[in-house]
Amino acid sequence: MKGVCGRLLEIDLTQGETKNLSIPDEMFEKYLGGRGLGARLLFDMLPAKTDPLSPGNILIFLTGPLTGTLVPGSSKFVVVTKSPLTHGWCDSYSSGRLSLELKKVGYDGMVIRGKSNHPCYLRISDSGVDIREADSIWGKDSFEAERILKEVEVRPPAGVTSIGPAGERLCKFASINSDLYRQAARGGVGAVMGSKNLKAIVIKGTGGLKPHDRRKLIELNQRNSQRSRKSEVAQARMKYGTPLTLNITHLGGILPTKNFQFGTWEKALKKIDAEGVNRTVISHKACISCFMPCGLMTRVSKGKYRGSTIEGPEYETLSMFGPNQLIASLPTIIQANVLCDKLGLDTISTGNVIGFAMECFERGLISPAQTEGLEIRFGDNEASLMAIEMIATREGFGDILAEGVRSVAEHIGEGSERFAMHVKGMEFPGYEPRGAFGSALSYAVSPRGACHRRAWPPAREILGDLPPYTVEGKAEMIRELYDENSILHSLLVCDFHSKFIPLSLDDYSHYFQAVTGESLSENDFLVIAGRIESLIRMFNLREGLTRKDDTLPQRTLFEPLPDGPAKGQYIGEENLNRMLDEYYELRGWDSSGVPTEETHKKYQL
Amino acid sequence: MNVIINVIGPEITLKREIALDRGSQTFKDVLGSLLDQKKGPWKRIVKKDLSLTEGYVVLVNGRNIMSLEGLETKIHEGDEITFTVIVAGG
Repeated sequence: MKGVCGRLLEIDLTQGETKNLSIPDEMFEKYLGGRGLGARLLFDMLPAKTDPLSPGNILIFLTGPLTGTLVPGSSKFVVVTKSPLTHGWCDSYSSGRLSLELKKVGYDGMVIRGKSNHPCYLRISDSGVDIREADSIWGKDSFEAERILKEVEVRPPAGVTSIGPAGERLCKFASINSDLYRQAARGGVGAVMGSKNLKAIVIKGTGGLKPHDRRKLIELNQRNSQRSRKSEVAQARMKYGTPLTLNITHLGGILPTKNFQFGTWEKALKKIDAEGVNRTVISHKACISCFMPCGLMTRVSKGKYRGSTIEGPEYETLSMFGPNQLIASLPTIIQANVLCDKLGLDTISTGNVIGFAMECFERGLISPAQTEGLEIRFGDNEASLMAIEMIATREGFGDILAEGVRSVAEHIGEGSERFAMHVKGMEFPGYEPRGAFGSALSYAVSPRGACHRRAWPPAREILGDLPPYTVEGKAEMIRELYDENSILHSLLVCDFHSKFIPLSLDDYSHYFQAVTGESLSENDFLVIAGRIESLIRMFNLREGLTRKDDTLPQRTLFEPLPDGPAKGQYIGEENLNRMLDEYYELRGWDSSGVPTEETHKKYQL
Repeated sequence: MNVIINVIGPEITLKREIALDRGSQTFKDVLGSLLDQKKGPWKRIVKKDLSLTEGYVVLVNGRNIMSLEGLETKIHEGDEITFTVIVAGG
């Protein structure tokens, strides 16, 4: 198959050895790449019940069949591993030059196993792999580590990815940073990298792959670029970025506020919403391989954080550090974003954990004596920023927060688990499920825990025509949304183009054909998606996650939302169980959520 | 009757209070009334047959009118009507 190298680089940090692993075309035909290929590899290569932070865990970086081509949004890579946060499946996505350079050195991905006996980084080039001592960068933040490596190792452009101090200290929601401002952040992939004493990876190649039909690729891009210029949806997205989402979640009553106690926050408007963020934009930025510059570079222009610059903040960061902590200061949120990126923390989990700590503090469940004197209250900008640094360095109370909200609730007790907002140990992102019931199902069944990227239900329940406060049709909706993203994340392309131009799976089948020379219909894609989702389910079952883990916090299940359009709504156990039953059936799983024998045969699992 | 209008698109206008004819009782009436206005983005967003430009939806008090009663959705004093492009993700 064109577009793929047909091999992976396997690196054993314990032995200091590397080898090539062949990936036959059949594997790409069945799993495409990215998420799909990662599912097969993790299931086959990782021994069951491996401790996620032990040398036995594997850290897989994967590209997709469209990576390194002209396909828009194709500079993404995925990190697949067993999560230290959930002890289950984890796939975490990022963008950057790393993906292109991997293909240029002739690999579709790399599998890293073992543990180096001293801090190290990898230098990968056409001539091979060097495992080098990382003494000069260990302890440095991600921005500084990347700067040093680019200075001493290679002339840019090169692919560089690194962890910050949070990853070195095995914070359970540590991220992996790339090209300064991009993070594979969810699920603790940075902690797994840190557990291997691996600080960074530098890749520089000179090769490349030729697509099957370059002329067709250019034609498709010309047509789709023209469509994006005509689309007001795409124009708005490029101008305002993801902060637009905050205006809609507030209106729809699904904006997490005060640790998910409320669903709207009027104070956010014009301060930390699309308009507020737009006032700080200094430039617009496109990813490599993309004609849509939808990234926003922002800078604080005055005050204490004057000069703080970031690509972002994205909606998730705004929601978790803004309404969720009752912070309406955009400079503070930008500074929080900078700190998380530098120190190597997932902004979603970090914002969620701090919001939880604020509620515990205000309820008197924790005192200053337990927090090294930190009075961590809602709306306290300084306390929020201080907490970020304490988490990354595991200083004092930060050592407890660094374990994730589920563990913090276990530590504090006193019934606090009722409002610890997570699924399977992974913290809720920026959507209140009581105002759009599909999100409740999506969070509950997501194999990596509470996640907004497997499906984005507000598209159908707030902006679409499905009534938000019912369970009818929600299982089918989530199955459809999951399947579409499963394919996009396996082809490994950005999912924004499918929403904003919009590109359909049929459009992607044309791109796939132009790159690989192989024909897959939309229906073929959906069969592949079904196979991938069932295989990931089998991985989680093997690791001990069952139907009982497909659940929601008590606040979501039983507490009526007190404000907004969804006032009075809550999910309820009966509704959740009905949606789970229907979803399992649509997937070909039994009532316990186990793929049936027929499903095994259908997908050749 | 006064309603609050938001427009979220390539340009954003939030919380504009607009006085409508007393006869405006449904969303369809509101559209007609807006199209009569000389200023504003209405002719770009709303077509003559009262359908919306592709990519736009309307929320009334945070609910999509298509999950309410469409053009016949009842409008009351103080209601918040939002014309927005599709957004996604975060």
